[in-house]
Amino acid sequence: MNFTDIIALAARNLRQAKLRTSLTVIGVVVGVAAIITMVSFGIGLRRNIIGQALGRLDVFTAMTVFGADTNDMLALRGGRTALDDGEEEDAQDGAKPEDPPSTNSSPAPAPAAARPRRVLDDEALAEIAKLDGVSFAAPIVTFPSFVRFNERTRQQWAAGARAGDDPRLRNLLAGRGFSDENADEVVIKEEFLNGYSDEAFRRRRNRRGNSGGPFRQASDKSDEERKRAAEDALGKEITLYSAPVGDASPTSVFGIPLLDFPSNFPGRSDDGANEVRDEVADRSGFDRYVFRIVGVVKSEDGMGLRVYGRSDFYLPLEKAKRLREANVSPMERMGDALAGHSGYWAAELRVLDPSRIKPVTKRVTDLGFRAFSLANQLEEIERIFLIVNSSLALIGGIALLVASFGISNTMIMSIRERTREIGVMKAIGGSDGEIMRIFFVEASLIGLAGGVMGVIGGWGIDRVANTLANRWVLRQAGQAVRHIEFFSIPWYLSGGAILFAMAISLIAAIYPAMRAARVDPIKALRYE
Amino acid sequence: MPILEARNVTREYPMKAETVRALAGVSVAIERGEFVAILGTSGSGKSTLLNLFGGLDRPTGGEILFDGESLAPLSSREMSRYRLRRVGMIFQSFNLIPTMTARENVSLALAFAGLSKTERRKRSLELLDRVGLSQRAEHLPSELSGGEQQRVSIARAIANAPQALLADEPTGNLDSNRAAEVIGLLDEMRRRDGKTVVLVTHDQELAQNFATRIIRLKDGKVV
Repeated sequence: MNFTDIIALAARNLRQAKLRTSLTVIGVVVGVAAIITMVSFGIGLRRNIIGQALGRLDVFTAMTVFGADTNDMLALRGGRTALDDGEEEDAQDGAKPEDPPSTNSSPAPAPAAARPRRVLDDEALAEIAKLDGVSFAAPIVTFPSFVRFNERTRQQWAAGARAGDDPRLRNLLAGRGFSDENADEVVIKEEFLNGYSDEAFRRRRNRRGNSGGPFRQASDKSDEERKRAAEDALGKEITLYSAPVGDASPTSVFGIPLLDFPSNFPGRSDDGANEVRDEVADRSGFDRYVFRIVGVVKSEDGMGLRVYGRSDFYLPLEKAKRLREANVSPMERMGDALAGHSGYWAAELRVLDPSRIKPVTKRVTDLGFRAFSLANQLEEIERIFLIVNSSLALIGGIALLVASFGISNTMIMSIRERTREIGVMKAIGGSDGEIMRIFFVEASLIGLAGGVMGVIGGWGIDRVANTLANRWVLRQAGQAVRHIEFFSIPWYLSGGAILFAMAISLIAAIYPAMRAARVDPIKALRYE
Repeated sequence: MPILEARNVTREYPMKAETVRALAGVSVAIERGEFVAILGTSGSGKSTLLNLFGGLDRPTGGEILFDGESLAPLSSREMSRYRLRRVGMIFQSFNLIPTMTARENVSLALAFAGLSKTERRKRSLELLDRVGLSQRAEHLPSELSGGEQQRVSIARAIANAPQALLADEPTGNLDSNRAAEVIGLLDEMRRRDGKTVVLVTHDQELAQNFATRIIRLKDGKVV
């Protein structure tokens, strides 16, 4: 009996017990749909996190360098704080690599590789910039601030960026970078515009009253609309409220300001929108700085790593440094004072090409800093995703395993019912192998049907879940987030799931098929 | 050379308390073209002997030969080929597959022989025509009378041109007119195509009317 005949015979057998067959297939559908949904989420997650990063060209050349912070310095000094011995110079010296501080007394110094042992200041940065293979180096300067734009004030993180070739400002939707590092210019991210849009404010206000309702489609603006909005913003001004700069302020003690800080500002509205009532901002005694928008940076798509930090706008580096001085939190300032230094916490680095990541990482580490690059982490991240995806597949696989018992059961039932038929087939010349094959094909048809429908079902679940998740994200994020694809069903997943379902079905059919082959035709045919 | 031969064949069924001896040393030789009727009461071992000739069972002792060759060394797969090609079996309860039409039932035997779909269609209609059922080809067994069903099963038995037809009480479920018709059909197969027919029955009259030779079994022995 050739294979197509066997398939036809198997299909006919399945059709004969439609209800039983469908119930069995549903079991497989559930299992496969579970696998598809689970794994497609894992793959989607990986794509959203790594894929987005990989899509950015400079991910393979980007590196962040961390200097020693207060904790590191204290650890290096063997647990003694600057206040204990009162020697400021000691702390300064300790920061120099040629004078390792922990040689004399540290009982339990942190592992050298884990902790940076040198403060990242301008001098150090100049040294790093000169390293072979480094194409760009700039300190990361961020601070909390109040920013007024579009007649609204919000709390925002400000960041500094270089004039000229700063890679963070490279992906411009409109405008240009800074003309000078002291210019009264600002480059905003698209998110900044979105955050201050009328729509965003309306939505935030509505969130409590829920008058808009949760069922709103994510605003997925076209590229043209985005570009137009960005161009409209150019030339507009933002106002930044800052504690007075360079002021040996009477409101500070030992350089620690007692003034209200943006970070604990009392006028903050508590709805999470970081919106600030104007009168509070005006009353607070802050200086106002006006910056003109000269560029708009494209938002980083997806929910993945925001490689360039959480700041929604950039100021020229020198401006940012001075404003940060006045606006860092008391804790941070106290930390600086205790450690006896004031360096940058980190710096943004670019290397000439991806092959330089490793040697530059080594040199930077040798200099006493900690280097982090996504490229170096990718391997590890990929491994984690492999584990995550395997676990997700395993959970789905359990559902399929349960279904396999259903298949076995169905096949055994079917064989009991068809014992006579099997006997007839044997009596007229059907071999054990042919009988077995009929049942194996029956099982794999169940697996195939369940697999195909399971893939479709899993896809359907993904669609529904994705729509709901996007609505949820939209409400949570409170700004015009672009539509996110949480799931991904590559062809190898669908194909693999179907094949897996068929394989499981075949395994489930081994015992029933053997039982069918062993049917004794004389017994089977003896009576009506 | 006999086409079918049993040499001192015994067949025992081990039961819980004792061993049931269905055949106790039977030696029978059936020549090509014979119409042999095996007569005996129920429990005489006649069906057991037929199943051994039909390759559905293997003897406990002695051997079965087809065309001078022993069936003993055949593997299970070779045995199924033997049932497919060498002998055609006909049963009292017809044993048609109830969900298949007359034509499909005949086709199934052809499918095991590896014929293509178009060949099967053509040949199965020819076979049904041979037994006078070309008008009933697309009917299910349940839509056919007992006599018609038995004729379908004869068409199926001769599908792969076996040399011997083995019929086990083929008329047991039929009235005497239909019974004569069915046995007549078997006899026609013998006369026209030179088939050897082995008929197991307890119907003396039928046996005497058609058989060229009658073998009587009693308590597992030829008498």
